[in-house]
Amino acid sequence: MAAADNRPTYTADAIPSDIKNSLFLGNPALDNLMSCVIAMGAEVWATKRRLHVMQSVMAKHGITPQMIETYVPTAEEAKAWEADRDRFVDLTFGPLANESYRPVGSNFPGKK
Amino acid sequence: MIGRRQLFGAAAVSFAAAKMIHGELAEAAEAVAKSASSAQAADSMDKLARVAPRGMDGRLVRLGTLDLEGQQDFTMAFRKLQSATIREASMNALDRLLEAEGIDPATPMSPDELRVLIAKDPAINIASKTWLTNQQITWKTLQDHFHANADRYLSEMQAADKAGPGALVLSPDMKIPDYTRHEIHIQPGGYVGDPFAGHMYLYGTNSFYMGGRGHNDQDQIHRAAAAKMPVPADGKVRRILDMGCGAGQFSAALKERFPDAEVWGVDVGGPMVRYAHMRASKLGIGANYAQKLAEETGFPDGHFDIVTSYIMHHEVTGAQTLAIIDEAKRVTRPGGVYYPLDFVSGGRKMPSHQLYGRWWDHRWNNEVWSFEYHAVPFNEEIGKRGFSEVKNAVAVLPGFGIRHFVRNA
Repeated sequence: MAAADNRPTYTADAIPSDIKNSLFLGNPALDNLMSCVIAMGAEVWATKRRLHVMQSVMAKHGITPQMIETYVPTAEEAKAWEADRDRFVDLTFGPLANESYRPVGSNFPGKK
Repeated sequence: MIGRRQLFGAAAVSFAAAKMIHGELAEAAEAVAKSASSAQAADSMDKLARVAPRGMDGRLVRLGTLDLEGQQDFTMAFRKLQSATIREASMNALDRLLEAEGIDPATPMSPDELRVLIAKDPAINIASKTWLTNQQITWKTLQDHFHANADRYLSEMQAADKAGPGALVLSPDMKIPDYTRHEIHIQPGGYVGDPFAGHMYLYGTNSFYMGGRGHNDQDQIHRAAAAKMPVPADGKVRRILDMGCGAGQFSAALKERFPDAEVWGVDVGGPMVRYAHMRASKLGIGANYAQKLAEETGFPDGHFDIVTSYIMHHEVTGAQTLAIIDEAKRVTRPGGVYYPLDFVSGGRKMPSHQLYGRWWDHRWNNEVWSFEYHAVPFNEEIGKRGFSEVKNAVAVLPGFGIRHFVRNA
């Protein structure tokens, strides 16, 4: 975001919430797995929805299923898809790295 | 209005076409910045809207990518599922827990008693956990997109800052009070800390509304509320103030209802009012926006015929709520209307079912000040501060607190 760095943003420092360290299910592993499942749902639905769009668009332009099955990505495409795959994995499984040590019954650690 | 199906069909844009569109976007943004008149600016803003990569859906700019639109579509659907079944299941689990503990569900509980109790039961907490994870995904996917395309979106806002038909007043040197800097609704950066706070708020709250009030992608809820806003007895509506205007939807809806009035939306968040102004300009709505505190608006005494706010008060401290009412008194003219729209308020001790949702929303959805809001006898305090409550008033938004007041002479 080099160019964006030079643009005014009119922001001020925020006080972050401690949601990432919340523990609801008694076991951090369970909490994190649940986060993964919901995120996976978002990704799967977004993909399925895109497929609906693609089917509709392709049908109008004569693109057959056979052409899709046999397609070989270019090197540039393969690189871009790899980056997107990594983003997908980070969204869906990234929560496994949450530390989750604040019990649900805990009060705010302190607020201004 | 362009049909959704038509827009959906136009979604596939090639890389070359996208480059061309971005070139036009920059050109249009430049034209807006150089526009001498509001008519020229409006024309340029129209061009900006036309060359937006994925077009408009009525008055909503379609999200920047099909994937993001799909992810937000999912989070909306999950929120609907929460409201339809998961919340009820968690309440049933709470009933079983209360029974096991020998507690009458009708007995008022304190938040401290409730916190200890619910910490024991994963079946209750799975509803909260999944709701909040869904909320996090709503924000993360939006924030990732806007930051990945930061230059494009910042340049668009920068160009729109000077566009009409409404004005924008930013206060970059304003002292931002600590109480406003929290990440309310766990929105990353809150209202002040992210340059795309306004963008995220608008799309994220479209998802919130699906949890209970239905679609708001065309500002349906804001426009319905604006349509019911009461007017002074003399019928004169020359100036309107919307305190804590957020993404500016309510101010814009009020301007649409009262096109001859001067409408101001004020908010502490610079990114919020920038986005609000840009969006209203694109829609050709001449509402004005300013970065100001609701408790210190700087407008002259008795300046406004109507002073309102849209679900702002539960996001400020109890002390600031009182200060904001004082400011409303100062800027509302005698006979003018004051209608601060917000939730029905009152009490921190209540039966467990009611308290459960309120408590975890406060604690984990980071509604930091909501308990203070509920501790303030809102209507009574307004009545003590130079306003008279209108009896048998109509709710501007059904299910919310009815707070129709008139400024005393």
